[in-house]
Amino acid sequence: MISIRLPFVGQCLALLLLLFICSWISLFSWSVITITPMDALHALYDMNAESIAQHIVHDLRLPRVLVGIMVGANLAAAGVIMQGLTQNPLASPSVLGINAGAALGMATVSSIAPWFGLLGTSVAAIIGGGIAWAFVMLLGSAWRGGNEHGRLVLAGVAISALCAALTKAVIIIAEDQAAGVLTWLAGSLADARWQTFDSFWPVCLIGLLGAMLIAPTLNLLQLGDDNARNLGVSLMWVKLGGSFLVLLLVGSAISSVGAIGFVGLLVPHMARMLAGQDHRKFLPIAMMLGACLVVLSDTVSRAIIYPAETPAGAILALIGAPFFIYLVRKRTL
Amino acid sequence: MSLSTHNLSVGYHDKAIVKQVDLTIPEGRIIALLGPNGCGKSTLLKAMARILSPMEGQVHWQGKNLHSIASKKLAQQLALLPQTQPIPEGIKVKDLVAYGRSPYTGFWGRINKDDQVIIDKMMEETGITELADQLVSELSGGQRQRVWLAMTLAQDTPYLLLDEPTTYMDLSHQVELMHLLRKLNLQGKTIITVLHDINQAARYCDHLIVMKEGEIITQGSPESVLTQTMLKNVFSLDAQIHQDPIAKTPMCVVE
Amino acid sequence: MATRSLPILLLALLGLLVANLMFGAVSIPFKSIFEGFQVGNANYFTVHEYRFPRAILAMLVGAMMALAGALVQGVIRNPLASPDVLGVSHGAGLAAVFYMTFFPDADIRWLPAVALIGSLIAALTLWWLCGSHSSTIKLAITGVALAALYASCIDFLMLVKPLEINNALLWLTGSLWGRGWNQLSMLLPWLLLIPFALWLAKPLNLIHLGDDSAISLGIKANKLRLASLAIAVGLTASCVAICGPIGFLGLVAPHLTRKLVGGRHQILLPSTMLVGAILLLLADLVARTIDPPIELPAGIMTAIIGAPYFLWLLLRTK
Repeated sequence: MISIRLPFVGQCLALLLLLFICSWISLFSWSVITITPMDALHALYDMNAESIAQHIVHDLRLPRVLVGIMVGANLAAAGVIMQGLTQNPLASPSVLGINAGAALGMATVSSIAPWFGLLGTSVAAIIGGGIAWAFVMLLGSAWRGGNEHGRLVLAGVAISALCAALTKAVIIIAEDQAAGVLTWLAGSLADARWQTFDSFWPVCLIGLLGAMLIAPTLNLLQLGDDNARNLGVSLMWVKLGGSFLVLLLVGSAISSVGAIGFVGLLVPHMARMLAGQDHRKFLPIAMMLGACLVVLSDTVSRAIIYPAETPAGAILALIGAPFFIYLVRKRTL
Repeated sequence: MSLSTHNLSVGYHDKAIVKQVDLTIPEGRIIALLGPNGCGKSTLLKAMARILSPMEGQVHWQGKNLHSIASKKLAQQLALLPQTQPIPEGIKVKDLVAYGRSPYTGFWGRINKDDQVIIDKMMEETGITELADQLVSELSGGQRQRVWLAMTLAQDTPYLLLDEPTTYMDLSHQVELMHLLRKLNLQGKTIITVLHDINQAARYCDHLIVMKEGEIITQGSPESVLTQTMLKNVFSLDAQIHQDPIAKTPMCVVE
Repeated sequence: MATRSLPILLLALLGLLVANLMFGAVSIPFKSIFEGFQVGNANYFTVHEYRFPRAILAMLVGAMMALAGALVQGVIRNPLASPDVLGVSHGAGLAAVFYMTFFPDADIRWLPAVALIGSLIAALTLWWLCGSHSSTIKLAITGVALAALYASCIDFLMLVKPLEINNALLWLTGSLWGRGWNQLSMLLPWLLLIPFALWLAKPLNLIHLGDDSAISLGIKANKLRLASLAIAVGLTASCVAICGPIGFLGLVAPHLTRKLVGGRHQILLPSTMLVGAILLLLADLVARTIDPPIELPAGIMTAIIGAPYFLWLLLRTK
């Protein structure tokens, strides 16, 4: 296992730099109208209202990158919390059915009661994800502190399959045609605008702060439920609170950009390699890594069949699924 | 002279558990394989039942290499009752016992009248006739053990290989089983069984084979095998040998 | 039990077949169905060209997928196993989509063969990853993970080279959309696998008793395992080549059948084919009639029934 032993602050700075470079590249690259790297910077602090390129950066690209950063951070944090709560290395929003549940909730509300608008779909995403998560935890017998990792994952997979089937059914019936299904289910940043950003950032901020607050407790959970209880942790409140945070983080991300998968699975493991097992350290690292990963795959998704776009979620699934297999093979289940 | 091993080594994952054993099973007897846990008695039994392939040496059946004989033909000669059995779902007791006839039936597994006679007889011998229509998965451990025994007996082979057949059985069924084995023996069957109860072996078997760490230490009649020094050497037990007041066979009493 | 179940299953199958001919975007009264088979009748196209071959195809595909599931469950003694859970279906689907995307002019008749290659690779990959001694749950998870990988590759290919949407859904979830006489004739040669599968009934019973007992009863356990998995892969590949990876059918049908007729494979294998046929006919009927003229992929329906069943099995697995 490679571990780069930079001091924690150094790691943070390096990641911030990496994140900035990824975002910058994402701002100017692969555009039909030529955007120079400097255009991208100018649009940030000294905008020339005449330049179409800078308008594109400011109105389209910038919110897209910002939403991408937040989505990445959200999903990575959610993955860390879930892996901490279940003590299961395979736990993540996409594997344990939260993504699919949230997508089903959104699809149902937006097709049955579209007048609820964005807030309605966000709430629906959280509720749908919550129901799916509750089912998975109950059926996978993880709530009672069981450590049957495999069972939990299979329960998640089955719930995902069920929710995905229902979602497809709802969308096909509601839209009178099936064309939107694929992009929508894969998750794409293509439709992220300032409006998305505005409604997303408060929830995102609350969620990420909450995640940081719960990090010390997650450290104690690593010792096992009994020892954690011994050390004065109220398991029920931690699990409920943690689950609520996960739902907030995942629900807000999914209602903004669709069901992007595997970030929550992939990133916590990468962060652990960098920063070790202390949640207080690797949680922020994971957030930044998640942000980089999403922004990067969004850039790649524009490049692959340029000038058309593929959903970023599809790219992430291609990277994530082999990693998932690797994890299954490595761990004893 | 029917079943014999020649310089036989067997084991799992390239690790020999039975080491270079030469053994000829005396025909027409009840033979017990004894030894402490992990001594290789079950492994030897499995090798003789061609479940495990030898790493070295051979097992011979009537002078021929066991693995060169057609499976189905050999299945009419040797039957094995494994130590642990899976619990098949949706199978009735009478179906499971009937599976014992499969070396004799055609490709579709049809049971004819002669087969049915043997099946009924073996179910009666093992006392499971009244369980016939129950599902195997619904039985208790001891009942299930008898059902599997009946299945193995229905195979109707001159040689029977049993791996700890008394496990899960209560005492009365254990005794019944040993009496049944004697009855089958008197009908001409050779029975080789792994047992962990030394006294049971001494009382009901004709020939004891004692193993330790993959090798045969001693073999022979219970009287000649069951000695204080053997118990000390093989089982690390301090024990006295007395005569069983009823069967007049030797029995050991731990000090 | 078996003798009582079989006629009921047959009757249900017949009833569903008639229902499949009657209902859809346009309902056709029962009496007119038979007239629909005569050339020139007003319903000739709907009944003879559209609904009848599709219903027959649903029956065959359902039967074959269920049979494949029963074979797999028979030899790996794992209640969670079936070609779709183990990723074999999606492997076949991926190969088929790959073939169609990159060789759009190639002959569609080669599709089953291509799918066969894909499913063989998928099966070998799983074997390579898990070996022969994996726990029930680990095998299932690895299979599911592989299925997810293949599905995301299919997804990706579709996004890069968009197909017509109904066609795309077919390859993602499995559907009988637009399938007719052509596809039926493609499937026919593969029906030859069925007698071979039935021929394995007796040894399958014995392998159920554990390898030790099976060998002692004269069965070559490893050869049997290989033969049955090979047949299962062939059955799955041919079905997937035509209808896409219809999920959970191969998992659910054998379990349901075992409940109905017990575990003897001489009865189990034929009955599971009936049950599979019934399930897929039913799924397709519901998928076509739930909101006509919109069609849902039948694979969505089988997932809605199958996923909860899978969860229930998972709860029971120790």
